[in-house]
Amino acid sequence: MTTPSPTPGADATLTPVRRETLRAVLGMLVPPSPDGRMPGAADLPEVLRHIEHVAAELPVMRDGLDMLQHEAMARYGAAFAALDHASRSIVLDEFAARHPPVLERLGLETVTCYYQQDGVIERLGMEARPPYPVGYQVLPGDLTLLNPVIARGKIYRDAS
Amino acid sequence: MNDPVDILIIGAGASGAAFAWSMADTRMRILCLEQGDWVNPSDYPATRRDWELRADADFSPDPNVRRRREDYPVNDDHSPISVLNFNGVGGGTILYAAHFPRLHPSDFRVRSLDGVADDWPIDYSTLEPWYAVNDHHMGVAGLAGDPAYPPHQPPLPPVPLGRLGETMARGFNRLGWHWWPSEIAIATREHEGRAPCINLGTCKVGCAQGAKGTVDITYWPLALRAGVRLKTRCRVREILVDDNDMATGVVYYDSDGREQVQRAEVVVLACNGIGTPRLLLNSTSARFPHGLANRSGQVGKNLMMHPWAAVRGVFDEPLDSQFGPQAVCILSQQFYETDPGRGFVRGYNLQVTRGFGPLTTARTGHLRGDIPWGAGHHEAFARHFGRTIGVGVCCEDLPEECNTVTLDPALTDSDGIPAPRITYRLADNTRRMIGHGLERAREALRAAGATEILENPVPMRATGWHQLGTARMGTDPQRSVVNEWGRSHDVKNLFIVDGSVFVTSGGVNPTPTIQAIALHVADAMKQRLANLFD
Repeated sequence: MTTPSPTPGADATLTPVRRETLRAVLGMLVPPSPDGRMPGAADLPEVLRHIEHVAAELPVMRDGLDMLQHEAMARYGAAFAALDHASRSIVLDEFAARHPPVLERLGLETVTCYYQQDGVIERLGMEARPPYPVGYQVLPGDLTLLNPVIARGKIYRDAS
Repeated sequence: MNDPVDILIIGAGASGAAFAWSMADTRMRILCLEQGDWVNPSDYPATRRDWELRADADFSPDPNVRRRREDYPVNDDHSPISVLNFNGVGGGTILYAAHFPRLHPSDFRVRSLDGVADDWPIDYSTLEPWYAVNDHHMGVAGLAGDPAYPPHQPPLPPVPLGRLGETMARGFNRLGWHWWPSEIAIATREHEGRAPCINLGTCKVGCAQGAKGTVDITYWPLALRAGVRLKTRCRVREILVDDNDMATGVVYYDSDGREQVQRAEVVVLACNGIGTPRLLLNSTSARFPHGLANRSGQVGKNLMMHPWAAVRGVFDEPLDSQFGPQAVCILSQQFYETDPGRGFVRGYNLQVTRGFGPLTTARTGHLRGDIPWGAGHHEAFARHFGRTIGVGVCCEDLPEECNTVTLDPALTDSDGIPAPRITYRLADNTRRMIGHGLERAREALRAAGATEILENPVPMRATGWHQLGTARMGTDPQRSVVNEWGRSHDVKNLFIVDGSVFVTSGGVNPTPTIQAIALHVADAMKQRLANLFD
């Protein structure tokens, strides 16, 4: 799987706190579907690994995770990852409003990786394979639908 | 020193390939120089799971994103539309959707019929036989009997409508509007050694199946077998001329970056509506201080790009819209011909386009906010994936001298050759046309059953596929660059066969017309070999 290359940064790995914050954020960005059919992004190890890698290399992501943690501590006196869902939502929504580029980038990286996972593709009802060489079937369609168009006749202008 | 050739073609894309094939039967020494390379079909993204992502990377249509060695940068900061292309054997056909509509008879007579721009010095009947030849070689699928065109017979059956096409067809029928299965250069059955389309849905990042009509697999094998030579990774810097205003050859950089000279009796430009004026403007000399073949001052002016706007409808029922050829499966030409009551001259067509793969659905949905993160994500994704239909408005763009290709004073390609700068704006007529078209597009989607309409910026930026008009043809040397058979007014052994020569743009995708013109020019040259330079 090819994933977008993050901008080179200064940090090679995330601290344990940042990693837990990130895992909690991923669970908020793409949670499991209510019917349980689609997994959450944080439940897929490949997605988690990729986003950790991106976050480790991008200072803006690391700073964003720190800000989330700081906000959670300031507001609730607990780590972001330790908050209940409702409290996390409040913190995350406010953060998204104040720092839209961070959540936009994190969300884009997350869905990019998530929708390349075999398990996700298969649960969408598709085969987890490249388009080529098998291809796909498309219904030919009903060309009798053209009858009224034909009946109305020529619409181009003669110009010779 | 390279051996001189009789005909030197610059550019191995749609027009250069068709021209080379046609001229091959003269048995002259014909050489084509192409700045890019052959594309190996096994490298096409469709062979890999991450194919959707590569449309934003090494298979991006935007040279400023793709940034391959053979790409030249384009300064499009002064244009609401960015330039798209591909540099390699096949040119733009490698990444085009292969939508293949012809121009209409009225498109060649816009001054006479509608009082705007200029008439072409040729007409539909001039190109009609070449359209047919080209349709065969490119393998055009379609259905005869379209009331929007003079009668003609596409050689292959149409691409499948699918649920998406049927849904929109019913919508158009409810409104009493024209629609028709699009003509598309995609082999819908085995054709001239090409395998039939298997609905990969990856046309715009290359066709790994070889069903799409790209000239690396259509014209070039025929031309090469007939003796034409093609040298890749050779970037032409300038065209040389003598004191008699005759081209003598070119200076180019070979695959090792070495400067080379290639002498030729005839030089043919096939570099598209950006590359051709760029090369002419880079070819200055004492006799042509403002660029070669530019005594009219028209080189690089009148750039037309078919401004594109689009909306997307969301439907309740599954349409499998992510599968199938990415080109238009049906189009409506209800609003193509001029109707003064609409508040603008000329017209547009409505192009019905398919949905996206899962990755593009999720990424664009995330960026647009249609598929949000959080609790509603899966429900929103399910509502969009495979259930959307796009309707694009492809507008005729009238020529204006203020829309230009010039040389950027600072930007260069990897060989140090000055890069093009695009200066372009939308005319008021075009804005009114877009507004009208978007309203009709929404109306059509609602008539087809769309429950939600997704909007886009107007015009959509990354849509500058069609680069036309920057070295236009005409009978007046003061107001045109080439004559009615592609020969430069100023340099009698210099020809142009690409989209630069368009006088007006029409409102449809130009590749079949570009290739028909290349075949027409080749035929005209063959008819005049004894007095070609008179």
